[in-house]
Amino acid sequence: MNLLSPHEILKQVAAALPEECRAAVIVIGSLAAGYRYFGSDPASLVQTKDVDCMLSPHIKAVPAGKAVAESLFRANWQMREDAKWGAPGTAETPVEQLPLVRLHPPGSSEWFIELMVSPPATGARGKQFVRLETERGHFGLCSFQYLSLVEVQPIVTEYGVAIARPEMMALANLLHHPVIGPENISGLIGDRGLRRSNKDLGRVLALAFLAMREDEDALRGWAGAWVEALQGRFPAEWATLCTVAGQGLRVLLESPADMEEAAHSCANGLLASYRLTPQQLRIAGLRLVQDAVEPLEAMARA
Amino acid sequence: MNRPLTPGPANRSDKADIGYEADGYWRDGNHHVIVELKSGTHSFRNVRASLLGLAYRLAREPEDRALLVLTDSRITEERLHAELQLAGQTLKPDVMRRLSLVLATPEGYVGLPAELGSNFYDWLDDLIANEASKGSKPRMSSDEVFKVMLYQWLLGKGPVTADWITKTVGCSYPTAARALERIGHALVRHRDRRSVLRGFPSEQWKRLVTMSDETRETVHFVDASGQARSPQSLLRRLAALGDDRLAVGGIEGARHYYPGVDLVGLPRLDLTLHSPDGHVDLGFIERLDPGLVKADQRDAPAAMALHVLRRKVTLFDPGENGLQWADPVECLLDLHEARLEPQAKEFLNFLIKNRSGTA
Repeated sequence: MNLLSPHEILKQVAAALPEECRAAVIVIGSLAAGYRYFGSDPASLVQTKDVDCMLSPHIKAVPAGKAVAESLFRANWQMREDAKWGAPGTAETPVEQLPLVRLHPPGSSEWFIELMVSPPATGARGKQFVRLETERGHFGLCSFQYLSLVEVQPIVTEYGVAIARPEMMALANLLHHPVIGPENISGLIGDRGLRRSNKDLGRVLALAFLAMREDEDALRGWAGAWVEALQGRFPAEWATLCTVAGQGLRVLLESPADMEEAAHSCANGLLASYRLTPQQLRIAGLRLVQDAVEPLEAMARA
Repeated sequence: MNRPLTPGPANRSDKADIGYEADGYWRDGNHHVIVELKSGTHSFRNVRASLLGLAYRLAREPEDRALLVLTDSRITEERLHAELQLAGQTLKPDVMRRLSLVLATPEGYVGLPAELGSNFYDWLDDLIANEASKGSKPRMSSDEVFKVMLYQWLLGKGPVTADWITKTVGCSYPTAARALERIGHALVRHRDRRSVLRGFPSEQWKRLVTMSDETRETVHFVDASGQARSPQSLLRRLAALGDDRLAVGGIEGARHYYPGVDLVGLPRLDLTLHSPDGHVDLGFIERLDPGLVKADQRDAPAAMALHVLRRKVTLFDPGENGLQWADPVECLLDLHEARLEPQAKEFLNFLIKNRSGTA
């Protein structure tokens, strides 16, 4: 992974996008968090390799994705080298076997953007793929069940593209991991394979840490924002989601081995500059539980 | 004329002979063990005095062993080991062989002879628990009597009866009477048996401040998160807890009574925990902030200091927004404990100058 300037990357991504498509892109993940929390210091860098761009809203995502991908191809962005996924598919390729749109900027392989799609308003469960047909061939756009939460009041940057709110990224990750699942991430982080749950829930802890660094009581505002978002996006099941949101996090906090993986992920990602110990990261998690998760659960009960 | 001292007659009680009385005596087969407990002792002077008392006893009882057990002590294991070595250079080898210095820590005992076995461990646990329940209550009560008398005087609340003192402190009438006797010359005794301080009792106050590091039960907490919460944030969370056992003291408490106190910011949060039954439940600490952990070292910069208040009536001043304030005397002691001497002096002067009512 490489140290990237969130400002520089966002500027470069925005410049490469067709102007009419910029409003359809919400950057999520560590770059969005880096821009949000390190934004006042242009010299601050984020350790990452991918820039996740979600196309939103769902109904316009495929046409926007086509325009974005073709614009990037015309600007000489290149598919990421990959033995299995390095070439576009065809109309005959099953949608799950299509490569994702992962493109390097011209002349650099330090990072790539990955296009994703917001899930449909109803009926989406787990991980889903949508076919994207371009002049270069067929690709898949990936979406996750709770990714629609990051569409809630995104922050529009000075470059025209938006970034997701950290608290919404955190909530999407919490809901995505109600347990510590057995599956590992596809690559390595800091030369280690990690459980997907530990990486994603570690991201939640990193977001909580950075939010408290900016304002020590910041997490106390998260539960209210979460309830509003859940009621808007999942009106039939919001109360249930409130009660399960903290389950995986609590398991993580009580498992030293999983916490160690989470801390490793943070130290090789968003919190590379802070070198937190697993104990310190756990304290951030306990504070998150007290300040946001428990109030969220209380609101559901009320 | 100088006369040589000679050994006294044999077969008298230990207490009469050597001024020594053990806290516990364990017999199990061949093991005869005398145990002395020292709780909250932080000075080597006290440790040496106890070691010497036990050494006298062992010199008279060649079959016995003796343990000096330190509980709630800030003396480190290393310093204790060094002290034992010094004793070994002074006392007879036969006495030293049978004398042990034991540190009771939350993790277990350090220095306890293994051959004493688990029955002895259980017995020692019980002995420590029993002593803790008795604790240093007479001394504590005596200090508390003085503190409530000072509280009455500083706030101009007028003379009080011994009955009021026993109910406020939670002590017996003889204890209250003895404590009043100790400060008798500083008291005005009225015909109706009420009494009040004549003026500010400087000497007694200095003694209390000097001794308070030893006699007050204070637990320091440090931040383990690397992202310490401010005292102001802790105050907001304290208010949300709504725990009526807790009151704010220290510099913030002093500011409650005297907003002009000369200190920018709030270096640490001082809280007073009311625990008249001797049971100190620290469960609220994690609710206040999971980043707070007990300090290993006395000199570590504390984010919070918790002072345990044993008397029966808190004398807390109810505040707004769920907060309560420790009484001014506790706040003053907190400032001294935090080494904020100029602020303590300033606050005390304010209290004396602005006290209302008359003796």
